[in-house]
Amino acid sequence: MKTLEEFRQFFDTSLKAPLTGLEAERKQVVYKIGIALLIAFAVLSFLSIFMGPVALFILPFAGIGIFLLVRFGLSRDYAQEFKEKIIQLIVKFIDPNLDYESIGFIPEHIFMNSEIFKVSPDRYRGDDFVSGLIGKTQIAFSELHAEYKTETTDSEGRRQTHWYTIFKGLFIIADFNKNFQGKTVVLPDTAERLFGNFGKMLQSWNVMRGQLIQLEDPEFEKLFAVYGNNQIEARYILSTSLMKRIVDFKKKSGRQIYLSFVGSKLFVAISYSKSLFEPRIFRTLLDFKPIQEYFEDLELALGVVEDLNLNLRIWDKQ
Amino acid sequence: MLLIGFAVVAVVAILMYLALYNTLIAKKNQVTNVFGAIDALLKKRYDLIPNLVSSVKTYMEYEKGTLIQITELRARAVSEKLTDDEKVDLDNKMSRLLGSIKVAVENYPDLKANQNFLQLQAALNEVEEQISAARRAYNASVTDYNNAVEMFPTNIVASIMNLTSKIVFEIPEEERKTVNVGEMFKK
Repeated sequence: MKTLEEFRQFFDTSLKAPLTGLEAERKQVVYKIGIALLIAFAVLSFLSIFMGPVALFILPFAGIGIFLLVRFGLSRDYAQEFKEKIIQLIVKFIDPNLDYESIGFIPEHIFMNSEIFKVSPDRYRGDDFVSGLIGKTQIAFSELHAEYKTETTDSEGRRQTHWYTIFKGLFIIADFNKNFQGKTVVLPDTAERLFGNFGKMLQSWNVMRGQLIQLEDPEFEKLFAVYGNNQIEARYILSTSLMKRIVDFKKKSGRQIYLSFVGSKLFVAISYSKSLFEPRIFRTLLDFKPIQEYFEDLELALGVVEDLNLNLRIWDKQ
Repeated sequence: MLLIGFAVVAVVAILMYLALYNTLIAKKNQVTNVFGAIDALLKKRYDLIPNLVSSVKTYMEYEKGTLIQITELRARAVSEKLTDDEKVDLDNKMSRLLGSIKVAVENYPDLKANQNFLQLQAALNEVEEQISAARRAYNASVTDYNNAVEMFPTNIVASIMNLTSKIVFEIPEEERKTVNVGEMFKK
């Protein structure tokens, strides 16, 4: 793991040059977007002459649609190149043993196997796959966006499809440092925070999840609800020190986090609302701030190994 | 009319009694069940001890007395018929002795490099981690059971059933220390 100071040095010595190259490309993309929008504006204005007052309703939507189309259409290659060059370099800087694939992602069956999310997705996308060995621990993660849809038909027979997000953010798999057979899932605790003891009762009725496992650490219990199929094994996994570490990790991330322990593997899902590791088109690349964000998001994910002490191998599993 | 009213009340009361009775029994069995698991794990640990003693005794000069004590305790644990309380007591003593052996290992670099010993050490850590988990599970189920025995309305049924609250395990301080000592062997 590298410190922010080390990264700042790396930014100055090794990232500046490729970024300057890309910055020229970015400006070109912005220029192209500008031209495309001008043309679109001209065409729309021309059309509006024939449409009359209806244009007032249609044009703003058409404008937004065209803008998004142009914005993402024209910047796709640039974004790809940015990832292959810059994100790749940052990943290798953090640890040369890590591999980065901009278009790879954690497959859906693994996502479902983690048992963290019970709803199976209708649309499943992802990118920015990082994998490798940190110390003794194999780790892999990627950005994921899983959604399900609902279809409703109104009285006039028009069908409407709504998409809902199951999960969006970073999804991490790591080799856990103890062997176990069962399943243990650690979810953010919404019921207990809202309803106190009554919430605890609601949790215990969550039959789909198996038994509710009540642990001794009050701080941990306030933040999470644990379900599993084996009371003893859940405690074997969630030792007092690991509970403390999970609480610290959750605080450090400042985000909603979900964990599960299945088949001697650890799964961690960290919720994000933004898209990760995407270049900003309308801002200069030479700023340290946005690049620092990529670094910090990567470090948070890889930090799981150190923060949860996964390299400690004093038990049967070596 | 009145008769039907009484009948309804009586049926409801009986059903409630049965429901509460069953919850209490389930909680009581959960406690017994987890204690069984602890017992099994303790046996597993006792099985490791002869190997441990034989692999360290050639190295350890000053801990011969402790090793003899460990062997004796093990012999008692596996041969005699013990009550639950005696088992717990014996286990506490054993944990303390094993802890002191682990600390002493630090003084014997040859031993620390011995592959066979390292494997045993890992196995022992494993069992101890499991024992600690089982104890915590036991305490959780005892707390759950005690709450039911003492809280309304289950306490009424519990007093009819003659159920009394149980005592939780004290997780000995040594045990937490042994885990820390274990960390010193991190490779």
